Amino acid sequence: MDTIFLMNSLWVMVGAILVILMIGGFILLETGSTRMKNAGHIAGKTILTFGISSIVFWAVGYGLIFGEGNPLIGLSDFFYSGYDVEGLALSGSVFFLFQLAFAGISLTIAFGGFAERAKLGAYLVFAVLFSVIVYPPIAHWIWGGGWLAEHGKQDFAGSTVVHLTGAMAAFAATLILKPRIGKYNKDGSANNLAGHNQVFTALSVLILWVGWFGFNAGSTVSVDGAFFGFVALNTNLAAGAGVIAAMIISWTVMGKADVPTMLNGALAGLVAITASCAFVDTWAAVLIGFISGILVFYSIRFFEKKGIDDPIAALSVHGTAGIWGTLSTGFFATPELATVGEPGLFYGGGLHQLGVQALGVVSSGAFAFIVSFILLTIMKAVMNGLRVTEEEEIIGLDMSEHGSYGYPEMVKAEKTVINSEPKLNA
Amino acid sequence: MNSYLEIRRFRDDQIIWVSRSHFQLNQLHDEIIHRVITVSINQMAERYGPVPCPFTFFMMGSAGRFEQSVWSDQDHGIIYQQQGTEINEYFLALGKEISQGLQLAGYVYCDGGVMANNPLWCKSVSEWRQQLANWLLDSSWELIRQLLIFIDGRSLYGDASLLESLKIEVYQTIHKENLLKKLLSNTLHFKKGIGILGQILVETHGQHSGSINIKEKALFPYVNAIRLLAIKGNIFETSTVSRLKKLPEVELPTMKKELYKQQFLKLLNFRLSLAKPDNYENSHYLSMASLSKEQKEEVKEILKNGAALYRYVRNLIDKEDT
Repeated sequence: MDTIFLMNSLWVMVGAILVILMIGGFILLETGSTRMKNAGHIAGKTILTFGISSIVFWAVGYGLIFGEGNPLIGLSDFFYSGYDVEGLALSGSVFFLFQLAFAGISLTIAFGGFAERAKLGAYLVFAVLFSVIVYPPIAHWIWGGGWLAEHGKQDFAGSTVVHLTGAMAAFAATLILKPRIGKYNKDGSANNLAGHNQVFTALSVLILWVGWFGFNAGSTVSVDGAFFGFVALNTNLAAGAGVIAAMIISWTVMGKADVPTMLNGALAGLVAITASCAFVDTWAAVLIGFISGILVFYSIRFFEKKGIDDPIAALSVHGTAGIWGTLSTGFFATPELATVGEPGLFYGGGLHQLGVQALGVVSSGAFAFIVSFILLTIMKAVMNGLRVTEEEEIIGLDMSEHGSYGYPEMVKAEKTVINSEPKLNA
Repeated sequence: MNSYLEIRRFRDDQIIWVSRSHFQLNQLHDEIIHRVITVSINQMAERYGPVPCPFTFFMMGSAGRFEQSVWSDQDHGIIYQQQGTEINEYFLALGKEISQGLQLAGYVYCDGGVMANNPLWCKSVSEWRQQLANWLLDSSWELIRQLLIFIDGRSLYGDASLLESLKIEVYQTIHKENLLKKLLSNTLHFKKGIGILGQILVETHGQHSGSINIKEKALFPYVNAIRLLAIKGNIFETSTVSRLKKLPEVELPTMKKELYKQQFLKLLNFRLSLAKPDNYENSHYLSMASLSKEQKEEVKEILKNGAALYRYVRNLIDKEDT
């Protein structure tokens, strides 16, 4: 067998495994950023929904994205059986798994907007609907030879396809679910419902950071010229610049280097460089990451002020940074590296590519938001509401949805403290 | 006035007239608290007979420093002359009576239990002497904090010399054992009020979003820095302004003293005129939206000078110790 075929397959398999490991990163990210009483639920439902999205992707998702069809949707190759694809210089099954992992990540991001208040049933139903109706069309438009691909849309590893799509679904969900109990006061001011474990959150960022080498560098889908090394380098630089920028901006504006902000800065850098990692020079990767670290800080403040309760900052990290990352190639794509589309504004490409990128952002973002909003509205009507009752939300989703705590001993201890008498006060 | 509720009515009638003047307001607080103590002692006399021995009831915290706002919590203690189980029980009961009376008169209980109904703050002179010695020896954060609270104590009723003599001993030990640095380290961290770009750092979350916590960010740097200088200079006054006045030229040049005094008084008046103190908690917050451009600049100046004063004192004590 052809050595290149084998090496490509091996490398992309490694990439697929790394991307699937990112689900682990998201488990820690969401759990750490939310309260203890919901920990078991958040961790468990993430695994369950990845299972659902895997089966749906096998049945129809892959065919809708990569099947023969029209510029809007693919319509063949359902129930993928493991065959190799003609003209693809790697194992068909490996390519399939790699793509499956991406669809799973996008769904996981969408569920960030459900955190701490949605019923388990809402997760199950939306996991299916998102994996059939929301994600595949956009992936087809950009990666499956659809209409945006024909325009030369640049999205190397999915700033738009994976991150913006997930974030827009999360946005629709946060609007429909409304803020968590206790997030906002009567006068509209926001309270800080701090996550229960910054160590989990920081570790999640490291796992995601490493996983991103699979995400971006794996998206070369070949070992040709070891180009994946350059892509990985750009990815790492953007993440580094993102965390530094977030530290500087939070220190400057708030007087303290806020830990959650720094962590979100690293993720924002990674999301932003996802579109552009293969198309820009290293200095541009640093700049793209740096700007995303500042954007994410202001974006989080903006959404909070607008009364949109986004517990894990999915809208800002994946949405705002995803938009910036997608647009960034319209500025920074170099003539040598722009194998898809045209060079950016700063390399004599004029406004053409920037326009294509903006068109991609608007059309994909609007599609993901509108379709998710409609689906969730219908679900809400049919399922007698998407949100748990007030009592259930207060006791936590661990209890209400599953009947057992993620941290049984800790929660018992907490109750004892609350019930005991204060020592000194009269 | 024979009941706490009558005193409460007196307070509600009177306080509005003095709520714009720092000195008049604090005089009124003194008067109200004094009346509560008198009623309490009468109540005790009816139930348990007369006071068994000389004692002093003293105020700490903002009342001790003569720096109360319209609303204030309770911080107080009792020192009595003779020792004895029955005497001890009597004064604890008196402390309880007074703190309940104060609560009825409009002063919320102290969260940290710094009140004369707590055995920790209600002792005979000799027991106090023993306890203060322990606080001085121990370097735990909590005990040093209590010591600093005690140093702001001001006698409001009874024999003031009981408190004075204990404070003199405390000061002597601090100087003999070079404990100033220990006291400094206890107040080393306060919340920054000014960012790197010179902007005012406001609360970003909660009901007080957009407001600045003037107690922690503006008042504390002045109060803590001047208290340290006062201890260093053997000054027994408790209010920040009178401590400043008494500081010798070598500790703080007259020009600086005048500046800090002006800024601190301005701050106290800002708190009275601009904060919307409908209760104790709210009285610590100043909404930035309610300030004019000039007022914002003034607040900034106060914050900057407070931080500068604090740095100055820290350096002074650090240098001295090495």
